[in-house]
Amino acid sequence: MILLCGIPSETPLAMVREQLNRLNVPYVMFNQRKFASTEMDFEISRGRVTGEIQLENRSYRLEDFCGVYTRLMDDRLLPELKDEPANSPKRYYCRALHDTLIHWFEVAPTRVVNRTVPMGSNFSKPYQSQLIREQGFAVPETLITNDPDFVREFLKQHKRVIYKSISGIRSIVQTLEEGDLKRLDAIRWCPTQFQQFVEGTNVRVHTVDTKVFATAVSTDTTDYRYAYRQGGETELKAIELPDELASRCIGLSRALGLVFAGIDLKITPDEQVFCFEVNPCPAFSYYEANTGQPIARALVGYLAGTG
Amino acid sequence: MWLVLCASNDISALWAYRGLAARGLTPLELVSAEMLAYSVHWEHRLGADGVSIDITLADGRRICGENARGVLNRLLSVSSEHLLLANPADRDYATQELAAFFTSWLYALPQPVLNRPTPRGLSGQWRHVSEWVWLASKAGLPAPDYRQTSRDRVDGMGIERGLVPIGTPVSTVIVVEGHIVGTPLPAEIHEGCRRLADLSGTGLLGVEFAAGSAGLWTFAGATPLPDLRLGGQVLLDIIASVLRGELEENE
Repeated sequence: MILLCGIPSETPLAMVREQLNRLNVPYVMFNQRKFASTEMDFEISRGRVTGEIQLENRSYRLEDFCGVYTRLMDDRLLPELKDEPANSPKRYYCRALHDTLIHWFEVAPTRVVNRTVPMGSNFSKPYQSQLIREQGFAVPETLITNDPDFVREFLKQHKRVIYKSISGIRSIVQTLEEGDLKRLDAIRWCPTQFQQFVEGTNVRVHTVDTKVFATAVSTDTTDYRYAYRQGGETELKAIELPDELASRCIGLSRALGLVFAGIDLKITPDEQVFCFEVNPCPAFSYYEANTGQPIARALVGYLAGTG
Repeated sequence: MWLVLCASNDISALWAYRGLAARGLTPLELVSAEMLAYSVHWEHRLGADGVSIDITLADGRRICGENARGVLNRLLSVSSEHLLLANPADRDYATQELAAFFTSWLYALPQPVLNRPTPRGLSGQWRHVSEWVWLASKAGLPAPDYRQTSRDRVDGMGIERGLVPIGTPVSTVIVVEGHIVGTPLPAEIHEGCRRLADLSGTGLLGVEFAAGSAGLWTFAGATPLPDLRLGGQVLLDIIASVLRGELEENE
């Protein structure tokens, strides 16, 4: 039995459900929006983890789940809590339920995609870059500073420079333009990240345990994820990675403690491989929908222990 | 240069700073979280040539990663008082950016660092009590049973949990790179503490015990930020040796 956690209509979760149905793999779904009718407990006794979750008036033993796929949204933002005051019992219950679930993920003796803590490296991009470097990938020349003069010098050195957030807050990658230089003084309040722009082909690599799915992304914008907003175009194409690079991607995911990862690479015209980031909760559906790569199927195989 | 990084009210760290200075670690710089927040110059670089960090504090002192020989890191959080006047959205964004930045530059400091930052905390592996119980069991320590349910009481900030009631007398030992200081322990508990530090990936770990459901030495908690004074002068000798690179990990 597999446990899915999140919002059923969310595309990656829906794609995994579709595969589970197609392959006749039994599963149950914890729908976050139905938190009020869900109960859960777990116990650790002499190192053994047991427990129970009650979904839609049916109880399931936690130790009977062979795999868990989780794409939980921030429970504080659930629509069902929109009008609830900060100290409402409903809010407290929702928090306690999610707290129980999340801490069970960390100790559950089963396949969890992904456990919460390993996903943490992405909260600090330059910290994660150091881990990426340790795994033998090139990382772009990066400067984080609160000194505008250093930024000007960095721009002079690299000619084309981008800037983006370094925390878990998502930001659109922007090219540093002449107009930005006029407001550089603002960085004195908070060190800001600037990066050499690397020419080349964007490649998103999804790793699922030992399986690798690589997608080449051609775009005419700085950040292909937002091409449509910037009036640009993006084309996705499934590609095969050289064995050595594929192995290195698996090694990187493992080093970060991730079973499932979305690795952002850029391969330069002289075939140097830069790694920008590892997404620990990748929305793979965009890539699967555009290339037909069987990522959801691989996930199901891993969760069921058959892949 | 050696560094002691801590909050300005971390009495335990201030005590350790004096003790480490008395052991001849010079120059030894005491840098508070508040001073770091008001640094006038930050320069953190990553790339083909490696990783570097260069900080100039408001009092003119300079912290350069390549000159750091060892660090006692007790930072708990990033001070963001200087952002109080920013609009709330910018303040929240900047606070998260600063936390991410601190994790990275602290990780960039050359070893030995007690403790290295992780995404769980600036000074090491902060873990939920359920994980500590689970790890303690794996380490062979007698751990109490742990139970958590969705019906548990939640306070405003989260869920209050402890393995023993507040005020219960506990015995504390501190593990530093495999060396154990504090209350004398039975051999199997001693070994379990070393395994726990190893399993939790924590160079400097405080481990607490209380008489309880699993016997006289029932695991009562662990922290990467123990009160160093509990280890006394012996602990400072060990920390000084580790920071000098003289002491190998005790296998």
